[in-house]
Amino acid sequence: MENVLLSVSDFVALVNQTLEYAYPTVSVQGEVSEYKLIQGKWVSFKLKDEQSVVNCFLGVHQMRMPIEDGMKVIVVAAAKLNPKGYFNLNVRAIKPVGEGSIKKGFELLKAKLEKEGLFAEDRKRALPTVPTHVGVITSTESAAYADFVKIINERWGGLRVDVAHTQVQGDPAPDQIIRAIRYFNSLEELPEVLIIIRGGGSAEDLSTFNDEPLARAIAESRIPTLVGVGHEVDHTLADMVADVRAATPTNAAQILVPDRREIIRSLKQQVTSVGSTVIQAIDQYKLQTSEHLSTIFRRIEEKVDDTFDRLESLKLVVAQLNPENILKRGYALVRGEQKIGSKLEIETLKNIIKAEVTDVRSK
Amino acid sequence: MSDQNKSVQDKLGELTELVNWFQSSSFKLEDALTKFKEAEKLAENIEQDLTKLKNDIQVVKKRFDTEG
Repeated sequence: MENVLLSVSDFVALVNQTLEYAYPTVSVQGEVSEYKLIQGKWVSFKLKDEQSVVNCFLGVHQMRMPIEDGMKVIVVAAAKLNPKGYFNLNVRAIKPVGEGSIKKGFELLKAKLEKEGLFAEDRKRALPTVPTHVGVITSTESAAYADFVKIINERWGGLRVDVAHTQVQGDPAPDQIIRAIRYFNSLEELPEVLIIIRGGGSAEDLSTFNDEPLARAIAESRIPTLVGVGHEVDHTLADMVADVRAATPTNAAQILVPDRREIIRSLKQQVTSVGSTVIQAIDQYKLQTSEHLSTIFRRIEEKVDDTFDRLESLKLVVAQLNPENILKRGYALVRGEQKIGSKLEIETLKNIIKAEVTDVRSK
Repeated sequence: MSDQNKSVQDKLGELTELVNWFQSSSFKLEDALTKFKEAEKLAENIEQDLTKLKNDIQVVKKRFDTEG
């Protein structure tokens, strides 16, 4: 090429052509410095290590997590010499690496989403008690999915479950999950719940669920969301923006549907309790009837006693009226006409005497 | 709607209503035995439904690894 005379623009174009051919995409790891947001649309920073530094440039919409100076990141980029002579990495994707930077990125995004109110309790929608149609987003090859299906089948029946198979780790995973969320939200017949599940993994594996566009897609879902990612101790931004967080995929299945065995137990208990209510009611009626009968018998007894008392009194009166009692006192009963010559019958207590009237005088 | 077509949810709702009747002012001993038998039958019916119902799990055909 030394005999070919190039203009500066041709030279820049040639360098870019060569770079594009030799290294269409490069992944470079380094530390972020001089991070700048330009006009709210563009981001520029320097990526450096101990000896070297390179300029990086990307659109804000390509950022999947906030970054700041000092964070270690990997950029996936195309190398380019721009017409002004600066060598740039045109970044297509950027992600933090290393525990500290992943954590830092998580905290920055968490603070950002929290400030926007995406975790607010009043945004949370309740899930139906017993859904009939749900959508699940997960890797159908995962153990987490197998556990979820097992628990769902053990606990409940009659549920329609549509499953969208996506990657749940690695760079393509967030976009695949976002597409699946949009797919379910675009259906004419919306599922009643959208469940996103993934088993445990390293912080890097779970970083899929700390992706800003994914968190926003979950928050924007028209279908109420239930997210169960990792183990109980793992907290991701995806489960923070979800309507309901499940500690694990198994827990998601437990939250989603009731346990038929518990319902059957409760049914039996209800029937037994209703049976007891009937028996109690019968006992109550028996008691009332018996009390009524006792009252009636008591009244009859009182009436009979009264009658006997009255009878006794009358008997006394009658006894006092008995003429024999008068005879006992020495008087006699005289029968016959009170005229001279007539025959009289005189009855004493012990004798009946015949006599003749010899005299009749007025007193 | 015949019993065959009612969902488990509908039947659970009916059973709840029946159970509530026993605690309500409408409770009459004359009707209690009939209602109790009805509740018992319904509970058995729900138990059978719950035991035999299977979930319908389908993996959607659409692929999500690319746009569109």
